[in-house]
Amino acid sequence: MMMMNGEATEAELFLNCADMSVLERQRAHLNHHHYPGFFSNSSTINGGDIDGFLASAGLDLPAVYGYTTVHGDARISVTPGNITTESGNFKKRKFGCVETETKVCNEKKKMMMMMMNREAAVEEEEEEEKSKVTEQSNKSIMMMKMKNKAKKEQNSCSNDSSKVTKDSQRTDYIHVRARRGQATDSHSIAERARREKISERMKFLQDLVPGCDKITGKAGMLDEIINYVQSLQRQVEFLSMKLATVSPRLDFNIDDIFAKEVVSAPMTNLPNTVMPPHMMVNSGYPHEMVDSGYVHFNPMQQVVASSDPLSCFNNLYSSLGV
Amino acid sequence: MASADKPINTDVPEKDVFALHFLQSLSNLRRQNAFNSPDDTTNNRVKKIKKAAYVSMARAAGGTNRLWSRALLRRAAKENNKVVIFSRRKKRVTWLRRSNRRDPVDAERLRNLLPGGGAMETSKLMEETAHYIKCLSMQVKVMQCLVDGLSAK
Repeated sequence: MMMMNGEATEAELFLNCADMSVLERQRAHLNHHHYPGFFSNSSTINGGDIDGFLASAGLDLPAVYGYTTVHGDARISVTPGNITTESGNFKKRKFGCVETETKVCNEKKKMMMMMMNREAAVEEEEEEEKSKVTEQSNKSIMMMKMKNKAKKEQNSCSNDSSKVTKDSQRTDYIHVRARRGQATDSHSIAERARREKISERMKFLQDLVPGCDKITGKAGMLDEIINYVQSLQRQVEFLSMKLATVSPRLDFNIDDIFAKEVVSAPMTNLPNTVMPPHMMVNSGYPHEMVDSGYVHFNPMQQVVASSDPLSCFNNLYSSLGV
Repeated sequence: MASADKPINTDVPEKDVFALHFLQSLSNLRRQNAFNSPDDTTNNRVKKIKKAAYVSMARAAGGTNRLWSRALLRRAAKENNKVVIFSRRKKRVTWLRRSNRRDPVDAERLRNLLPGGGAMETSKLMEETAHYIKCLSMQVKVMQCLVDGLSAK
């Protein structure tokens, strides 16, 4: 048996006591198996909250255990061994994964739905007695509450104690839940989130495509976007045709022009500049050009004096430099 | 209520970068002997220039961070019988692909238009389209300036 701290020894005394209630034994189990770090993170767990939720959900004790220590795995069946590993993982999760936090939260949300599904199945018989009239209202109320809970859950994902308090709240109105809403809820919420994402992107695209303010509705917007993309692609093709006819004029050495223009025209450093220095080296530019011309920000505005082959590029860079 | 997404990032580099890449690819084209000789038909040259435009756009704007640019570069490399190697992406790969099957008919025309659009989820498709539109318009501006500069003489 693990002897971890003063609380654990007390628990052991409890365990050895003959006339211990089931509840106290479970609590002793809980105290016994959690790491001390778990307590230090959220001191309220050790206090009344455990009593609260253990008491109110005495029937579903194993399920609720799994519930509190869920952090994103799909393990629903719980043994005390599970609890230790999961509580250990709690700390791990706190340190880090900001990117995966939303993912974890989403998974947890789904987990919660699944948990509630199971508990609903357990308590089905109790609910059949309730009148059907209240089912609808209960469903809607429950959905709203679930939404709020999901929101709260997102905000305080890494906060252990708040999770436990939410558990106790949740177990309160598991009883009033109707059965029919359950199967579709997790899906419908995910669907709604997905649809919101898509509509948000649509709005962004609406700003991008000119002349799309009046059009509402996804289908019309999609058509407009497609037309715009097609017109842009056609423009590229048309311009490349024009370039093909004009390009015999580019019969001087582009490399020289390029190098000179790089030095003289101001160029900004950009995030995607990993490639160009390599490319410039590969295509045979002198190395000092690569170092000085590209990396340094040359404040010289003046373009190299125009001999004939270069003058056409003056226009180019002056128009681009703006 | 939706999960708090980070704001969509569709930053596109300045015109200079596009110009640099495009001119570079043009100069590479120049170096091919087949391009300069008069027996190269105009059609072929047009095609080559167009392909150079797209590839340079992909490199300038997306690099390997964007799905459409990766698909474009892969397609171009396949035509040349070369192999493109991409470094592993930092973001989590599309483990959501199973939800793609739910309504792939939703934006089918758009998927056909966008390079690499067939494999994306709808919301990702929208994001890529926005970036693609920005890059395309930038590329068009660059090419227009080039043509004007050359023909104004």
